[in-house]
Amino acid sequence: MRSPRPWGDPEVSVVVPVVERHGDLEQLYREFAAEFERLGRVAEFIFVVDDQLRDVVPALQAIQERSGREVSIVLLGGPFGESAALTTGFAKARGERIVTLASYFQVEPAGLGPALQALDDGADLVVGRRHPRIDAAFNRLQSRLFNGIVQHLTRTDFHDVSCGFRAMKRRVARELNVYGGLHRFIPLLALQRGFVVREIAVPQRREDCPTRYYGTPTYLGRLLDILNIFFLTKFTRTPLRFFGLLGAGLFALGFVIDLIAVLEKLFLATGISDRAVLLLGVLLMVLGVQTLSLGLIGEIIIFTHARNVRDYKVAEVIKRGGPSALDDTGTRQAS
Amino acid sequence: MDVSIVVPLYNEEESVGALYEEVRAAAEALGRSWELLLVDDGSTDATVDRLREISRRDSRVRVVRFRRNYGQTAALQAGFDHAQGAVVITLDGDLQNDPNDFGLLLATLEEGYDVVSGWRRDRKDKLVSRRLPSLAANWLIGRLTGVDIHDNGCTLKAYRADVIKRARLYAEMHRFLMPMMSLSGSRWKEVPVNHRARRFGRSKYGISRIWKVFLDLLTIKMLLGFTTRPAKWFALLSVPFLAGMLLAFAASVYIDLSLPPGHKYPLVFPSITLLCAFAFAHLVIVGLFSELVVRTGDFRPADTALSLSQPKGVSA
Repeated sequence: MRSPRPWGDPEVSVVVPVVERHGDLEQLYREFAAEFERLGRVAEFIFVVDDQLRDVVPALQAIQERSGREVSIVLLGGPFGESAALTTGFAKARGERIVTLASYFQVEPAGLGPALQALDDGADLVVGRRHPRIDAAFNRLQSRLFNGIVQHLTRTDFHDVSCGFRAMKRRVARELNVYGGLHRFIPLLALQRGFVVREIAVPQRREDCPTRYYGTPTYLGRLLDILNIFFLTKFTRTPLRFFGLLGAGLFALGFVIDLIAVLEKLFLATGISDRAVLLLGVLLMVLGVQTLSLGLIGEIIIFTHARNVRDYKVAEVIKRGGPSALDDTGTRQAS
Repeated sequence: MDVSIVVPLYNEEESVGALYEEVRAAAEALGRSWELLLVDDGSTDATVDRLREISRRDSRVRVVRFRRNYGQTAALQAGFDHAQGAVVITLDGDLQNDPNDFGLLLATLEEGYDVVSGWRRDRKDKLVSRRLPSLAANWLIGRLTGVDIHDNGCTLKAYRADVIKRARLYAEMHRFLMPMMSLSGSRWKEVPVNHRARRFGRSKYGISRIWKVFLDLLTIKMLLGFTTRPAKWFALLSVPFLAGMLLAFAASVYIDLSLPPGHKYPLVFPSITLLCAFAFAHLVIVGLFSELVVRTGDFRPADTALSLSQPKGVSA
């Protein structure tokens, strides 16, 4: 049951995942729609609502009724989170360009123009950087810490990697495979797949400014996300380099601890049996062996599932005459 | 198509022109149909423009351009994937290999081998930074994997296409291409080839972090051992821990019996017993688990079987 499309297929699909806190969605829609109008771009809006937040559906339906533009509402079947919401939105999107927005005001709509322009200029994905930041010092500290660790571990220099404001070409969205907490690292995943990624500064909104305190589980979750992306971007094909180094390190540490204990027993006549440090060393060595063997299992998994693994992405195949080649995403390239 | 020549290129704008001319002359001298596959591994200089010019002039040339830099293993893999010839020859993009060796490689391959690897017997590289580390690495690889060849690092190689297309290449396995291929039961031979000093540009490989190579070697050692019975390989790995456990247990019992009553019981040997017991049990369990992984994977020893007839498309 599709509404009539007086404007034809949209150029830009705006995907708004409504999964956690959300602001005034009506105002968010109104201001961004106005900005699209001003830019002369035809846009559709896709609100993907997590099961836990089905209360917002009536408000969204009101937007749908009032607006002349296309607004779709998708309700997820369960509490699947932001990554799932984005993936669902990407699959529904019909525009050649896709913009993602946080479900509250993170940035000024004025960022749209430069972001879409950057895509026209050759970028495959553009991520916003809230800059200058006008929010609480504590927010900025959290953000700087998070991004600092990510920058350091992945050797990239995104200042606001998890910013909800992104613009991308459709083929990027099609190729990304985000799940769990990976939506925070979409620019890194795109970069890993060989896409051109740019960061642009976008003014921050007042609505994004109140100090945010999270519980310990949230921070631990973030830490796990960081560890996950570090592993995924570096070691998915060489698990033993990760687990092997970790395991060897743990084993060596345990070995040295026990060696010192034994030397002290032999030469300083310090009793060894009643020292907890002996058990600590033993424990570390056991942990080292376990970690190392998990790395070996990882290698077996890669090897025995490697038949169709291709690590590379081809941009184009160039040859004289003949039909122009298709690249991996099925986009026709000049020959 | 008889021969596909694959060249991985990364920032070689100065050498590609000369490379093409040399390869063309050598390939034409073979008297067979051939194609040249140039794989651009995300070069940031003018390499791609040079490659476009070359492919415009010669329809036997195809260029595969990567989205970004993926490393030499991926570049070689892309070459193998796109190759149409019955034989694939690979060489370095920096003119250090001599295309005039093609004939020798082909002739050797046709003696009945699946892969023939070049051996740069007279290397024109620096002794301390390049040749000595390479000597040590090759010795170690030979000892550990049983694939005892002099020069694992030489890119100049010839393969039967049906064999190399089946090989499993990922990560940085090009360093261990021969051991990896021997995993699929390939017959290989090494022949001395010409080596020339680098004329343009800089080398892209230095002594990279050595732990990577060690861990990769451990992987290959394991893969060589596990192909049929992974649980057995892990069980072997656990034997020293089993022995350690029994010895330490015997020692603790002995000490316990020989101590005078009321004396404090020392924990040293019991904890060694525990350490070994944990490691032993863990490795056995992991070994069983690895059976599950292998059974659900796509590696079948039957796939590596070769019929011992003449290679297709290669005249005897």
